Amino acid sequence: MKLNRKSVWACVALAVALVFPLVLGGFTVTLATEILIFGIFVSGVNLLLGYTGLVPLGNAMFLGMGAYGIGVFANLLGWSLWFAIPATLLTVLVLATVIGIVCTRTRDVEFLLITLAFGQMFYGAAIKTKATGGSDGLPGIARPDFSLINLNVVADTGFYYFVLAVAVAMLFLFWRLIHSPFGSVLVGIRENEKRMISMSYAVSYYKTGAFVIAALYAAVAGILSAQHSHFVSPEIMNWQIGGEAVLMVIIGGRRYVLGGILGAAIFIVVKYGLSRLTQDYLIFFGLFFMLCVAFLKDGIIGLYVGLRQRVRA
Amino acid sequence: MDLFILGALNGLQLGMLVFLLAAGFTLIFGLMNILNLAHGAFYTLGAYVGYLTMKLTGSFWLALMVGPAALFVFGTLLQLCVLQPLSEKGRSSHLDLALLTFGLLYATASTVDVVFGSSLQTIKLPPVLDGSMSLFGVMSYPKYRVFIIGLGLLCALGIWAVLRKTLIGATIRAGVDDREMIISMGVNIRWTFAMVFGAGAALAGLAGVVAAPVLGIYAHMGITIIVITFVVVVIGGLGNVEGSFYSALTVGMVDSLVQTYIPQIDLFAVYILLIAIMIVKPAGLFAKQVRAA
Repeated sequence: MKLNRKSVWACVALAVALVFPLVLGGFTVTLATEILIFGIFVSGVNLLLGYTGLVPLGNAMFLGMGAYGIGVFANLLGWSLWFAIPATLLTVLVLATVIGIVCTRTRDVEFLLITLAFGQMFYGAAIKTKATGGSDGLPGIARPDFSLINLNVVADTGFYYFVLAVAVAMLFLFWRLIHSPFGSVLVGIRENEKRMISMSYAVSYYKTGAFVIAALYAAVAGILSAQHSHFVSPEIMNWQIGGEAVLMVIIGGRRYVLGGILGAAIFIVVKYGLSRLTQDYLIFFGLFFMLCVAFLKDGIIGLYVGLRQRVRA
Repeated sequence: MDLFILGALNGLQLGMLVFLLAAGFTLIFGLMNILNLAHGAFYTLGAYVGYLTMKLTGSFWLALMVGPAALFVFGTLLQLCVLQPLSEKGRSSHLDLALLTFGLLYATASTVDVVFGSSLQTIKLPPVLDGSMSLFGVMSYPKYRVFIIGLGLLCALGIWAVLRKTLIGATIRAGVDDREMIISMGVNIRWTFAMVFGAGAALAGLAGVVAAPVLGIYAHMGITIIVITFVVVVIGGLGNVEGSFYSALTVGMVDSLVQTYIPQIDLFAVYILLIAIMIVKPAGLFAKQVRAA
């Protein structure tokens, strides 16, 4: 078997991810868990943004649906987590299908704005719903029980490994998806939708499909996020979260499978690093991503690939 | 009945305020194809410039003029020095510029937060506008809100007159319809772009100063209002100033009346309205009839 450069990089990254909690521990584990959770969410955004050519600004609503779903089914209705998680995903699947059918009728700026409107609607609904604590949110979200395989996820390190496993599985699925015929159709829609239509592809099904898959990625991230902080509040659906997700994809590199998670990592590490350096970090943070958008068209990965091609030539 | 009139007047006032933002936003999009998320930043900056002017000179009227003027300069420079060069370098895909302006919105909010602190500020009203007046002889209504409605109508009339009755207005309308054609006719579109961008920023700045006594000044004020501006602009049809006027009134009314009669859904009623309209007419309620070529 020929080991190409990409798989070597992936193995190195995975090895680092597996080993480092044993060495560093403490707060870095929390940070890494956050990066992985956002990585899952942002990969879904990347499917729409980088591969289908649709810009979703409201995808944080599905993050919120996942988080609230687990809160409602497990905490309010008292279901076991092993029923609550599928029930949450199923609910998101149904809702995302309906929302997706409406949203994918539009494109470009209208798509961006209508997803934002849906996001704001659910954000408003979450604030107004008394049963889930209104704007105070819902505390006491439980983590799953893995005592059968001797993994203690109540501890942060254990939870990190659980999230890592989920993230690796989701990214592998993402990679398979991109290289499937379905993924090729999506890229075709991005490049020239009219041609895809005239080649008799039912593009609206594919676009809705991509929308639903992105929503499910967000929902999985939402469930993990609620379990990570033991808490869910409407702020998880704030439209700025959706905007940040788009920025993460841009920073990491749209059109690359690992662009989403890399962007999330850079975004979170820079934000944390700046906040350690100076109290006024938010100023530099804003400048940082204006520079990223202005100068990195294909993100960090695009920059690396471009440099390597230049070195070879 | 009093309740209804009060709600309707509040809706009119909100609609006028949002229209000041939406007019510039929609024109910038129509002409330059930039989804200018920084419009919220202009609104915030306008309010803070007004606040500083007020603090230094104590004159509300001066604040009302300095706010928009400062933002006109800022907007023009932003377009000439940053956005125009970027879009000429082939970064014109509106996602890039939308994200750049999103960054600017973010940076402004956080800079303001650091410089002025996160507490709520306000601009004091001059005695002429303070207090209430009686309307139709039966009910009392704050004078300042009547002032906002009047100012909004005046601005709407001014924008309409410029767009419909002057040469620069004709150039702008032509630019919205077909940019390449107007360039090939020898119009230096760059200056038109910069002026329109500046004027849009000035209107947003004006809205910021005007809103300050009613809604208060805080770092994230621009982020809050930009979302409702989007709704107005989409319902009005992107690039359509007259549409956004009617749509601002509609959205203002719906928001205010829902707040009066069905407060349970006040946070998302306008979004439901938008989604309903998008399902029926994806191009906006007031979209112009486009001839299929």
